[in-house]
Amino acid sequence: MSCIDVRHLSKSYGRLAAVDDVTFEVGRGRVFGFLGPNGAGKSTTIKLLTTLIRPTSGSISVLGIDAVRNPLQVRHRVGVVLQQPSYEPTLSVEKALDRYGMMWGVPKNVRRDRTESLLEEFDLLDIRGRRNEDLSIGQRRRVQVAREFVHDMDLLFLDEPTVGLDPGARRRLLDYLRGRVREGLSIFYTTHILPEAEYLCDEIAIMDRGRLLAVDTPSALQSRLGDEKTIKIHLRRGRPGICELLSGVGRCRISFGEGAGAAAGADVGSDAATITIRSAESELVLLQALKILNDAGIEIEDLSVVPTSLEEIFLGMTGRGDGRKKGAGAGDGSMQDAGGGP
Amino acid sequence: MHPILRLVSRNITISLNPGFLIWQIIFPLVYIFVAGFAYAPLIQGVQLGPRDLDYPAFLASGMIGFNVMNSTLVSGIIIWNDRRHGMFEQIMSGPFTRSQYIMGNICTIAVIGLVSAAFILAVGYPIFFEDIRFSTGTIPLIVFGAVAGSILFGSLASIISTRLRSSEGFNVIINTVFLFFAFVSTAFYPAQDVQEPLRTAFYANPLTYLVDVIRAGIFGTVSEFVLVEIAVLAVLAGVLFVVASKLLTRLNV
Repeated sequence: MSCIDVRHLSKSYGRLAAVDDVTFEVGRGRVFGFLGPNGAGKSTTIKLLTTLIRPTSGSISVLGIDAVRNPLQVRHRVGVVLQQPSYEPTLSVEKALDRYGMMWGVPKNVRRDRTESLLEEFDLLDIRGRRNEDLSIGQRRRVQVAREFVHDMDLLFLDEPTVGLDPGARRRLLDYLRGRVREGLSIFYTTHILPEAEYLCDEIAIMDRGRLLAVDTPSALQSRLGDEKTIKIHLRRGRPGICELLSGVGRCRISFGEGAGAAAGADVGSDAATITIRSAESELVLLQALKILNDAGIEIEDLSVVPTSLEEIFLGMTGRGDGRKKGAGAGDGSMQDAGGGP
Repeated sequence: MHPILRLVSRNITISLNPGFLIWQIIFPLVYIFVAGFAYAPLIQGVQLGPRDLDYPAFLASGMIGFNVMNSTLVSGIIIWNDRRHGMFEQIMSGPFTRSQYIMGNICTIAVIGLVSAAFILAVGYPIFFEDIRFSTGTIPLIVFGAVAGSILFGSLASIISTRLRSSEGFNVIINTVFLFFAFVSTAFYPAQDVQEPLRTAFYANPLTYLVDVIRAGIFGTVSEFVLVEIAVLAVLAGVLFVVASKLLTRLNV
């Protein structure tokens, strides 16, 4: 049975469609990752699902409850960690946890036990007496996330919860969430930190410009959209005109410079010493490229072929990484699209 | 516990800080015991209906209404802080409705207003005890004044807090408005000796009605005019409450 069932969900602000005809389902006891670049519509979707705003059209069922008709019933059973900070500046960390539990109607003795346990789990014991307004951004974020676990819930919405956390705190939080999922909690998790999604999520949706581009398990996404592999060729030295030389290689995308992300944004000339080629027919393409480089007398220092990572799939799908949607081509000296690929 | 009571408990917890308590306690005490006695030689007696009061007793009773008004600043500060620090959105994503949030704020200021009025009444008692004319008819009048005044000024502070986002703007507007209310009212001086158009301005000020009603309750000077003031206070409190509720309901998250 699904804990979230969204059908043809749309939310418009004037002419702007923040969420555009989105449909997906989330299973119970699972972590559903919601990925997308800034402004993709992730936070608007969370606000719709948590009943903070009403949809323009479409239906939302959360834990079997019609969220549009019975928002309060939904809110009684979910926890929400919003993207922006939320805190009471004058309360101490410990008091903030306790008062938040009180607001949710958690009995005093249960609050006390949970507060103690959460202070330890989230490494807040040393700052338990410090006021929220005196905390660092990361500490405040930890309090905000910890606070949500003072009350009972069946489903937790986390909107980029690790923003501002150091790597240790981030890993600790992800492991804590995994533990809670094993106990039966369902989690709706938005992020644009892809290794987090790969580490935590059972299923991933990729959103951009208000629309869902894909929904699947991380491995299925990689096999469905990531049949292509990434070939990285490091040359001994760069050579002018290499872009034109490789333009004859078909059914692949080629970028020059350190990786796809860098290639899209960096000012890299076509004589760069690193060539990144992505193709679903990597073996054939590799042979073609090697032949061209060999014939031109270009020396190769290093070569690797790796499956395309979730990050690269994400960047490719949203057009943020390889510049395909930005019109970058061979002519700009940093990138060319020789056709093919997802 | 009912959601509104949980919100009231939360509001009181976050509002009770040293700064607020100093504002609520020290400030009126200074007015009563310093200004009251310092001005007594200048204002030797105040006619209140059939009663002739000395100025410290007049001022101490005015301070009750003044303190009720001041305490309602809490409402605006809570809403403004909740919006600024993300708690409004957080609460709205929790097990509360907007109506409960609004009622939570109103109940908070009613509680603070009543406690505040009781405190000043207790502190000012030695000063005006000779003139007090409590009765079963006048005590409810004091309670009504404290509650209606809390709702009226609390709603006003809420309206201001929903319209302003910047800290400076909020503080400047709220302090200017409340300063005008405080000094262009009968809280500090009797209206009958004030010249026009200031006298008219006194009666364009809701604090005057609040103070007059509470004074009538303390000194037992209920007249036909006071009954009109009770009606004005009730209507104004009702109207402003509806406006504040509507604005809060429309507040974007």
